[in-house]
Amino acid sequence: MKKKLSSKHIWGYIFISPWIMYFCVFLVYPFILAFKNSFLDLNVLEPEKAHFVGFGNWIDAVSDKLFWKSIFNIIYNQSIFIALTFLLGLAFAILLKEITFGGALFRTIYFLPVITSITVAMIIFNFISSPEGPIQALLMKWNIISEPIFWRFDKWLPMPILAVFNSWKWFGVQMIIFLGGLMSIDQRIYEAADIDGAGWFRKLFSITIPLLKPQIVFVLTMNIINGLQMFTEVFMNFDLYGGPYNSGLTPVMYLYAKGFDKMQMGDASATGLLLASIIYLLTMIQLRILNKGEEEGI
Amino acid sequence: MERTYECKYVDNKKIKKGIRIKRHKVIKNFIIYAILISGAFVVIYPFFFMVINSLKTGPEIMHHPNALPREISLKGYIGVFKLLDVPRLFLNTIFISGSVTILNTIFSSMVAYGIVKTQIPGRKVLFKIILGSMMIPGILLLIPTYMMMYNWNWINTYRVLIIPAAISAYNIFLMMQFMKQIDNAYLEAARIDGASEWQIFWKIVLPMSKPALATIMILTFMGSWNDFFGPLLYLRDESLMTLQLGLYRFSSSIPGKHIEQLWAATTMISIPVVIVFFFLQKNFIKAFTGIGLK
Repeated sequence: MKKKLSSKHIWGYIFISPWIMYFCVFLVYPFILAFKNSFLDLNVLEPEKAHFVGFGNWIDAVSDKLFWKSIFNIIYNQSIFIALTFLLGLAFAILLKEITFGGALFRTIYFLPVITSITVAMIIFNFISSPEGPIQALLMKWNIISEPIFWRFDKWLPMPILAVFNSWKWFGVQMIIFLGGLMSIDQRIYEAADIDGAGWFRKLFSITIPLLKPQIVFVLTMNIINGLQMFTEVFMNFDLYGGPYNSGLTPVMYLYAKGFDKMQMGDASATGLLLASIIYLLTMIQLRILNKGEEEGI
Repeated sequence: MERTYECKYVDNKKIKKGIRIKRHKVIKNFIIYAILISGAFVVIYPFFFMVINSLKTGPEIMHHPNALPREISLKGYIGVFKLLDVPRLFLNTIFISGSVTILNTIFSSMVAYGIVKTQIPGRKVLFKIILGSMMIPGILLLIPTYMMMYNWNWINTYRVLIIPAAISAYNIFLMMQFMKQIDNAYLEAARIDGASEWQIFWKIVLPMSKPALATIMILTFMGSWNDFFGPLLYLRDESLMTLQLGLYRFSSSIPGKHIEQLWAATTMISIPVVIVFFFLQKNFIKAFTGIGLK
């Protein structure tokens, strides 16, 4: 019996060995490397020239205006994106729950942008939104705008426009998650509210939204983690520094430029750590606020 | 007397109310469908735009981007094969995504089995570490991982895209959630019959986990197929390029004169995904919804 158990244990360790290897090689080791490099002046191409600079990189990272510009940009972008996808996702989920016919078809259509690659979606979107594209032609025809807009070179427009693009691309996922949540709400709660004479809005704010909390927490957390790491959309639209006003610069692009254009790996490591702490902090704050000390959330 | 009157009155009111509710419902449905259909139109429009333009000639695209093609021209589709090595890009991408998907599915479910179905000491700590590692933002490890790959001479090889992606905490988590529901009695019975742990895993647990396997396969394949950042960072040679990277390079290098080829290329790259999606639509949607919510 004892012998059998120990062979079971050996097998157990064999089964988990891929994770142990992955964890050590691709998570722990790079993490230590990031930490170490953040104190070095380092160029990948000339690693022998690396030397210790203390907190120099950290001070550089914190005091770099471009870094804070990229943070500002992403907050600007995400506040619009999160509000928009949240409202669209919730609204369409509520509508889809009401109908009896054609739900599967609508779900499939709304999900189509989610499975399309960002590259393909961005090429289409770029053309459609360009000054020669159909949307601006229509807006001109209806006299809503008087001259073509080159939004990529504008000081304020890139972030809201990319937020609209991203909402188009991603609201399908959030809608499906909300729909799943709505389906699991007990119908009798609504019936009871009807008897008490609750109106539509009352039911929305007092029943639907509170009971959707797990889904809402999940969607918002997912948005923050993914949103702060936006890269492809901006990379495909701008030069490495986000256009003439850096209005398209995001943190990941800033990191990319620093590491792979300027080759300052030490500086980039410090920035990466700084950014990761910001993401971590925001996620924690958000989970704390939304859960208000309730069980463990997601 | 009064009693009957009252009854009649109430009945009348009820009927009137019934009619009103019915009419109200028709109007409500009409509004809902109107919103849903216009939403669907907005979502579909960019794809429609892409497909109709891929069937036009260059000048027609520039002058009438929104109109249906006057006559269907396949110039774009034919031209694309001269400008872009489409079969090569397809094969490269299939090779990378295929290997990542197969390896990731096997390794992730192995680890999940090891944690959920064997009583090894330390599995609780391991579980916490796996969950915790999902919270590490990928961006943190970007620079050091690149340097590691550079030092190992892995840049510009497929290894760099396949091996680090051969297992993922996220898939392990999904598999663990699923395997927990499998009754241990099956495994005990097999153990009594003398089956080895590997046989139990391979012949009993894996076949029982088909829905979860489908989910992680779809998510992993999609992620790898649509990945842009990895190939951009690590691949240099033209012959190693993936579809996404090839398309990006093509779109950013043309000065507007290969516009019909660009639309043809974009359509060709999207169509396989869309076809697969329509066949596996239910699984796709389930795979995305399963994320973290159980």
